Amino acid sequence: MAQNQRPTSILESLGEEIVRIVAPVSICMFMVVILVSILNSSSSSSAATVSSIATIAYNESSSDSLWDKFTGALLNSLVFVAIITVATFVMVLLFYLRCVKFLKYYMGFSAFIVLGFLGGEIALFLIEDFDVPVDCFSFLVVLFNFSAVGVLAVFMSKMPILVTQGYLVLIGMLVAYWFTLLPEWTTWALLVALALYDLAAVLLPVGPLRLLVELAISRDEDIPALVYEARPVVYHESSPRDAVQTRMRVWRERNEISGNLPAVLDSVSEGNVISESSVDEIETSDSNPNSESSVVRAEEGQVLIRNSELLVPLIDIGGNVQPHGEEVSASNENLMLEGIGLGSSGAIKLGLGDFIFYSVLVGRAAMYDYMTVYACYLAIVAGLGITLMLLAIYQKALPALPVSIALGIMFYFLTRLFLEVFVVQCSLNLLMF
Amino acid sequence: MESSQNPNTIPNSNPNRIQNPVSSQIAALWPTIDASLGLSGEESVSYARRFYKFGFALLPFLWAVNCFYFWPVLRDSHSFPRIRPYIVGSAIGFAVFMAIISSWALTFSIGGERLFGPVWNKLVMYNLADKLGLTGWS
Repeated sequence: MAQNQRPTSILESLGEEIVRIVAPVSICMFMVVILVSILNSSSSSSAATVSSIATIAYNESSSDSLWDKFTGALLNSLVFVAIITVATFVMVLLFYLRCVKFLKYYMGFSAFIVLGFLGGEIALFLIEDFDVPVDCFSFLVVLFNFSAVGVLAVFMSKMPILVTQGYLVLIGMLVAYWFTLLPEWTTWALLVALALYDLAAVLLPVGPLRLLVELAISRDEDIPALVYEARPVVYHESSPRDAVQTRMRVWRERNEISGNLPAVLDSVSEGNVISESSVDEIETSDSNPNSESSVVRAEEGQVLIRNSELLVPLIDIGGNVQPHGEEVSASNENLMLEGIGLGSSGAIKLGLGDFIFYSVLVGRAAMYDYMTVYACYLAIVAGLGITLMLLAIYQKALPALPVSIALGIMFYFLTRLFLEVFVVQCSLNLLMF
Repeated sequence: MESSQNPNTIPNSNPNRIQNPVSSQIAALWPTIDASLGLSGEESVSYARRFYKFGFALLPFLWAVNCFYFWPVLRDSHSFPRIRPYIVGSAIGFAVFMAIISSWALTFSIGGERLFGPVWNKLVMYNLADKLGLTGWS
């Protein structure tokens, strides 16, 4: 063990992990903002809203009074959250009955729909905007390739990490863009309602997401769902023991109380079995990383990390989208994941639902002005940082939506009310641009 | 890393081994671009074969992903003899497909109506989208 150790600061280890989760969230938000700016500036009317499941109760039109819009938005969001709750419970039931294969194929199918149809629609919007002279054959071939490889990357087979991560971000971007097409009040009400639902579903003992996580933990299985997993940070220090110690210092404060007991596993009473895989395995590269879970149990002072993931199903395009008999069934559900947790290799996992709703918030802010975009982006990243800190403290599955959405919405309205006036006046008086 | 800086000097990797035995040995272990996080030796062969075969279902992008995934196999020409034929096949297939599609797409877009006549307007995507109402959303 007498080898030179390159000292790693907390910036390198912890900072690297945080950057690896904040970067894709930022990329997704950035792309949604770009899409919104390109596609919404060209179509002048904002009255071209989407009829879908989310507006089933009330379809907003610009001529309604304020109170009508408010109650209509509340109704819409309540209906949406109710549908999502039902769908999540159905998923818990299916998982309980061990129909995992069916869930996997179903989600592969819905990912194909999202990538193929939503991606195709947005590509068509862009083609029409820029008058790109593409013919239908090449377009169809490219679209088919794109969606097929996407489904394989996300669900079916093992692909380069970059490709999988890229496709997850793309799926998040497409669904988020679709959500920004909803009427304004409905969008805000929906965000608030979903943040509250996330809080309830993950933390309450009767919440469907918590049930799902506990089921998965008790069975030692993976939930089949769309989750973004950051690439685990591989340490290059020559002494693996130290590397593990530094990590444990950050993420496993709890274990210091129990000392260096081998394979500390908390009781399953609260369903909070948390562990950390050994970085050893990754570094010395002499064992199959997939078998970490069984090997690590024997390692001293090291514990396994559990998947703590949460699910919020998302309703796909439904309602009356039937141009020429093209059937998009209203019950087509796209099951996605929300919430933040720690993966089996110690990397941070963030559900795709979080990507989507952060980007919806920023996309909505982009429909107003770029000032709100900056403010909301900073608020969301700050919220994400706070959630990661809470994850390190509590070490169990946490809802990632509430803090960021609360900060984001607060900053959006504060910016609109106060900052905008200030900046406009400054610009008018040539003080600051 | 130093082994990748001298790719063209000498075909055999002896100088590299002398310079940096550890890194080239470790680099030679992993056939995938994800190195230690990717597939092991045995799985790589079956994955490469599967990607190669599925690519024939009009999925040249899968061939491209195959080449990207097993980039170390393409890079060092004498390691991984079992995987290499599939990756080389995928690369050739992807190149051929790209040539065909890009020549057709470029002919279509640059030639335009002068070359194709009124059929062009029927084949171009934005007209088709309007005709079929694909961008109506509802």
